[in-house]
Parts: sequence; structure tokens; C-alpha cells
Amino acid sequence: MGNMVSLKIDGKDVKVDEGLNLIEAAAAAGVHIPNLCYLKGMKGIGACRLCMVEVEGGKAPVIACNTKVKEGMSVATNTDKVKEIRKFVIDLILSMHPLDCMTCTKAGVCNLQQYAYDFEIKESNFTRKKFGYPTDEANPFIKRDPEYCVLCSRCVRVCKAQGTNVLEFSGRGVGAKVVTANDKPLQESSCTFCGSCVDACPVNALLEADRWRKGREWEYDKVNSVCLSCGNGCSISVSTKDGEVIKINSGVAEGAAEKYICAIGRYGFDSLVSEARLKMPMKRVNGELKETTWADAFATVANKLKAAGPEAAFITSANILNEDAILLKKLAADVVKTKNYDSSVTLYSDYDAMKTGTADLEKTDLFVLVGTAPDQWARVLPALDAVIRKRVNESGAKLLVINSGEPRISSAATQILKGDEVKMLEQLAQAVISKGVKAPKEMIEALAHIDPSDAAMAAADLFIAAKSPAILSSPSLYKAAANLSLIKEEAVSVPFEANAKGVVLMGLTSEGKKFKDILASKTKTLYAIGEIPLGKRPDTEFLVVQNSHLTDLAAQADVVLPSTPALESDGTIIDYLGRLKEVRKAVDPAGESHSHADIFMGLAEAMGVSLKKVKDTDVKKALKTKGKAAFSPFKKEKDLDIDGEQFTEDINRSAINGSRLLWLKETEKGAAV
Amino acid sequence: MSEMEKKEETPKKDMKDVFTAVENIKCVVQKSQKFVEEFLSEPMCGKCHPCALGSYEALVRLKRISAGIGNKADVDAVQRIADQMLEGSRCIKGKDTAKFLLAELKGESFAEHLAGKCSERECPNYIMYRVIPEKCVMCGLCKEACRYNAVLGEKRTSYRSGYLPFEIRQKRCVKCGDCLPACPYGAIEVVEEKTAVLV
Repeated sequence: MGNMVSLKIDGKDVKVDEGLNLIEAAAAAGVHIPNLCYLKGMKGIGACRLCMVEVEGGKAPVIACNTKVKEGMSVATNTDKVKEIRKFVIDLILSMHPLDCMTCTKAGVCNLQQYAYDFEIKESNFTRKKFGYPTDEANPFIKRDPEYCVLCSRCVRVCKAQGTNVLEFSGRGVGAKVVTANDKPLQESSCTFCGSCVDACPVNALLEADRWRKGREWEYDKVNSVCLSCGNGCSISVSTKDGEVIKINSGVAEGAAEKYICAIGRYGFDSLVSEARLKMPMKRVNGELKETTWADAFATVANKLKAAGPEAAFITSANILNEDAILLKKLAADVVKTKNYDSSVTLYSDYDAMKTGTADLEKTDLFVLVGTAPDQWARVLPALDAVIRKRVNESGAKLLVINSGEPRISSAATQILKGDEVKMLEQLAQAVISKGVKAPKEMIEALAHIDPSDAAMAAADLFIAAKSPAILSSPSLYKAAANLSLIKEEAVSVPFEANAKGVVLMGLTSEGKKFKDILASKTKTLYAIGEIPLGKRPDTEFLVVQNSHLTDLAAQADVVLPSTPALESDGTIIDYLGRLKEVRKAVDPAGESHSHADIFMGLAEAMGVSLKKVKDTDVKKALKTKGKAAFSPFKKEKDLDIDGEQFTEDINRSAINGSRLLWLKETEKGAAV
Repeated sequence: MSEMEKKEETPKKDMKDVFTAVENIKCVVQKSQKFVEEFLSEPMCGKCHPCALGSYEALVRLKRISAGIGNKADVDAVQRIADQMLEGSRCIKGKDTAKFLLAELKGESFAEHLAGKCSERECPNYIMYRVIPEKCVMCGLCKEACRYNAVLGEKRTSYRSGYLPFEIRQKRCVKCGDCLPACPYGAIEVVEEKTAVLV
């Protein structure tokens, strides 16, 4: 790419990137070419024929979705001929559409409605057709109503591209219907309820299940934010109405492979108003947790922290924001003056593995997965799984899986190196070196005794051929995987929590005891922040829990401070690819809950020190600390292996138990039995 | 070889088979309807909208015309579908169907049908079967040939008088045409329904 092509669209001179199709080129010129089946980022299939345009010198109209720009070409997008075809197709579709735009939830964003308006088709000139297909609404997430379907197959293709592969057409032509295997309801298929199909549907055939009479698109306020449910930290777009979250969609631009969010990110927002939500500070009085005022709660906690001093300890989830992390460090180190503050990051990573490189997944042509096992179905880094599969299926990227087990992502792999990851990495590196690729001296020496297998040699060919490979490793294998990056590109370790990298980069790295040691030893005052994978009260004299929901741990605390979840907070995170992302408040805090940052400042105030609000520049300064890649022995940090699925579930427990995700969890468990 | 396997092995219908299927039909409306029916039954792949949705609609309209309840709007719709399918269809199969329809639409036949006339006398709803009393010898062969008990009448026997004459009950007649070759005397004729009623 990079080469520009000049062409004329409706008489306008346009310069666009080579390789674009005419729909994209026209869009760049501000001209919309109608379409129903085109999906940005995927191959045009030319089913709807709405995008037909006339190219000067061409015999017949062509489909814009599947025609690439050519130097000097002149395109007319709105000739009488193509207008007639467009009208004809919309006319036909309307003859089998319910035509209840007045009460339709998709009104305003429905492509069919828009085109009927544009082409002035009040009602269909063709025979009314109705097939009486039943609606699938047996799940609380996705409603499928085939009566509205315009047979564009976007949902089918989206589902296939990301490898979920649940939807398929049954029949062809007018009576065709999008079905799951054996036409079962969604929950009896292998659907993960990610809702990608809902985002793709141009009409009302696929919709969030709970949208009836919850307002329509033009009534919503939209806020771009980030989902903090797992290590992917996906961008989301939150739609709210009257201070309530109505729906959440992926916040990534149309056409990007990263446009995916999972069921937790999309549907977990009911937990904002679940029964377990904490709205007031609580204090244990006579053995029972009772609501109290902030002033009283602050005073109590301040006293305990002061009394404990260096014997106080802070543990936090890495789902807190950068601003929270900076203030927490100040509170712990400067105000309370303890060295024991740590995040759950150290359960699965060392600090260095969080100061890692980056990758542009949209351009990656070879994914090297070292140990890390993203999995849409188990919802472990599901977005990463989906991105990789989309790139492999749609753009011909390759996937090399290096894993001792058999992760699900292997099904999309071009090559698998199964076996001890360190050994496999050594073989791969040696294979690459043996093919004459430059590498650091220490590495060549360290690998001299290795005799690579045939599979490693084949994998090496992939690695050498790749223009921009992305090396993604689990944190425990980061150092070994990073050796590969000394040959080519950067290595990225993929943590299990959304802001793991941010928390570490902001300096919330213990100078005393680490997370596990804090839990293992007796503390005077233990202050736990966020949803921590811990159900039992550790050995401590005084336990403070600061979280949005009353978790099992919070129920055993002496003081509970209500904090706001991500959807009610402002701040930033640093995602697994090292990108700074903005978390923005979509709805007001419930009850008297406050952001972590505000609580830390309030506490410091109660202890007689005033902490300043964190500025953008503070975060950006902290961002600059980056680890330098240098050769280190091929080794695995063995005690950093955790069960990703269990961990992800643990840190999302309140969200899952407090929302319709509980139904999903139980249904999936039932299906597994 | 099991039944199932045999079925899978039967070669699929292609456009050639569609053309063959309508070869011997003379009435343009019948021919067009059969053509689209055959096209939809197999070669139509459903990969693009003009053809998948258009040919289905064309069949609906053609059926109306051949049933004698069509009007000008139906013929216009078929014309529009054929025009747009020719321009918009993705592959040659849709375009061939469009071309076929366009060719058939050219003559007077469709207008004739709208006026209630099927000059080829192939549209069941435009015709009726009638016994010509002058030619009938009351042999009863047509009654035996009729599978729908639509022929009424008594066979002539020499010792009786006052026979019930042979006639075809229009309500029962499905216009299968089985009685025509059964009559050795050419006493059964096909007439256009509208003309017959007038007579």
C-alpha cells in the first residue's frame, strides 16, 4: 500500500489508496454508494446488487464492493440504470418485510428504511410475502426474527470470519432463513453470545433482546469507553438514555479486525444496578456490617492505617485506572508509609513483562502465540482470539501456535509447535538462525547445541517470510519469547487484566511484599481494592474492602467503601498492546459511591495530607518507562502459571452474578454436563 | 448401493434442462411459468437478490396470469423483473432467464391472455372440454378414461330408451386431457372458456 490512485467519482477528482474498492473510495469522496450486504473489512460478495455503478468505457454496470480502484477510472454512482436496479431490489425486499417502522426498534439506523426513503418507495409494488418463521428469543441476549431478514448474510459471514461459525443459511432465494445447526435456539448451538451478528445486521432481524421500548438510536447519548473485564481492554461505545445504560457496542471503527466485544463486555452492564451493588460506606458494628457516612468511614480507616503504618498493606486488582494507581501508590508510600502495596498482576506476571512492546494487529501477517491461549468460548482474552481468527480467515494472515497444551486457537493455526514452550522457542530461534538470519551473538552461542525439528524449520520459514509478525506471549514466557523479538519485531506479553500494564507503568510496584506474600502473612490493616480473586478473609486485624459490589470478601470486611465500576468512572488505562485508552463515565455513580481516585484522596485528607488530582501529563510521563529488550536465557517463570478461565471468572464475579450473564454461565454449565 | 447414495448421484438440473423442459409447450404463458418454475427448482443459486427475489416474484405473477386472474400490472411486473434481472443479476443463469422472459413478452400472447384468450388452448383456466352431442355415439369410453369422474352419461344399450346424454361436468374437470385421445369419434373438443360461456 501507500501508492495513491487518482480517479473520478461522479465527476469529482479523488485520490485514494491503491487497493481500495469503489465503495470505500466513494466514501472518501463523500459519496455514499447504497449497499446491504457489504461489510467493511471483508470481501464484497455482491449479493444485494445495490452497489452497482457504471464505469466509463465498461459494457455493463459493475458491483462497487468488489471492484478495485484503477488509475484514471471514471465512476458514475447514480445513473438511471443503476438507480432502477436499486429501486427494484429494495422494492422486492420490502415485499417480504414487516413494514412496521413505526414501532421498530431499529428505526433510524435501519438501512432498508433509509433506502426506501432515498428511493421513494412508499410501499412495495410486488406481491406481499410472509413466511411465518418463529422468533428465537429464548435467551436474554440476542433476539432473532427471520421475518425482518433481508438475506444479506452479514451475520453469517461475521460469525464465520471470527471462527464462531454458528450461523448458516437454510434454503436459498426468497424463503431462505439464517439458522443455527439443526435450527436450534442459539443457546443450544455453540454461540458465545458475543453479539457480533447484532452489530452487523442492517435491519431488525438481529437485535439485543432487551431493547423493546427502551428508546431508539437517536434518543441515546453515546460515550466511548473501555471494557475492563479482561486483559483485552476492548474499546466500547456505551448508549445511555435517562441515565441508564441501554446497550453497549464495540467502539472500534467499522472494518477493523478488532471490532469485537464478548458477552461480558456487551451484556454485563445490568450488574450496575444489581442487588449486590454498594451504595453507601459500611462499617462493622457489633459484628454486623451497617451503613455509615463517608466521614465516619474515612476517619475509621485513616485511624487504622495510621496505627498500622509500615505494617499496613494494600492489594488491588489491576482493573483500576492509571489515575487510581498513581494515587494509590502515593497514599500507600507517602501517606501511610508502607512498602507493601501490590496489584494482582504479580499473580501471573513479573513487573518487567508488563513493560513490553506493541503490535499493530490490523497489519500483522503472522501471529506467534507463545503459551498464551486466547479463547472466545471460555472467554479468556476472547477479543484476541476473534481478532486473530478474523485476520487469518479474511486477510490471509498466518498463525503459529507454540503451546504445551492444545488450546482452542490451534484450530486456526497454520503451524503448531506442540511441546514445552521454552524448548519450542529455542528450536524455532535456532531454525531461524540456521537459515542465515542475523541474531545477537549471545543467542547464537546459547542455541548452538540445539538441533531444530522439521516443524520448527517450517515455522522458521513462516517467521522469516512474515513482514510484520506479532509475537504474543503469556507473561510467564515473555522473557523467552522476547528473544525472538531480537531477530524481528517486538514481543508483547498478554496479561489477564485490562490495566495490568498501566498499573505497573504507573509505578504501583511493591517495594516490600508482593500480592501473594501479603495474603500469606499476617497484616495489621489490609486494604483490598477492586474485585480480587479471593473469597476468604486473609489473616489480618482489620480489613478494608473497596469495591463496587458486595463480594464474598467484602462481606467479611470491617469497613466497606463503595467505589464506582468502569462505566461510572473517568480515567485512562494502558491495554495489552501498550495503547493508552480513555475510560469515560457513561452514567452517574450509583448512590454515594465514588471513584477509587476520589476515595484515595479523601482518605489522605482524613490523614492530614492532601493529594493532588492526577493530570494527563502525569500518566504520559509514567508511560515513557519502557523495558529494553535484551537477550535473556530461554526460561519460563513457572510459578506464574494460572488458570486464565478461572481467574477471568473470579475478577468478573460480581458482574456475572449480578446480571443476565449468570443465565449464560448456568446454561453453559448445563450444556457441558 | 443404497437409495440415498443413488439420489446424490443424480446429476443436478442445469439451465439446459430448464430449456428442454419447456421445449414442447406452445402457450407462451405456460411456457414462461414452467421455465421459471424449473429455474427456481434447481439452477437458481440464490446468491444475488435480483435473481433470487425477482424470479420468485415473476413466478407469482405468471401464475396469476395463467390462472386467468392476472391484469396489466402483473405483465408489467414481469417485464420489470426481466429488465432488471438482465442488468442486475450476478451470473449468466439469471441473465438467461431474463432473456427468455423478455423474448416471450414480446409477442401478443400476454395481452391475449389478459383478454381471456389462450389461443394455444394450453392454459387450463382459459379452456373447457365439451362433448359434441352431434358426434357422440354414447360408447362410454371417455367416462372410463376420466380419472376424476367428470364425465356424466349413460352408455347406450339396445333395449333401452331415454338415455342420459354424455357431458363433462366442469366443476370436476381438471383439464388433464385424458378424454381427448380416448374418444374414437372426435366427439370431445377444447374450447376457450370465455367463448363457450357466450355461446
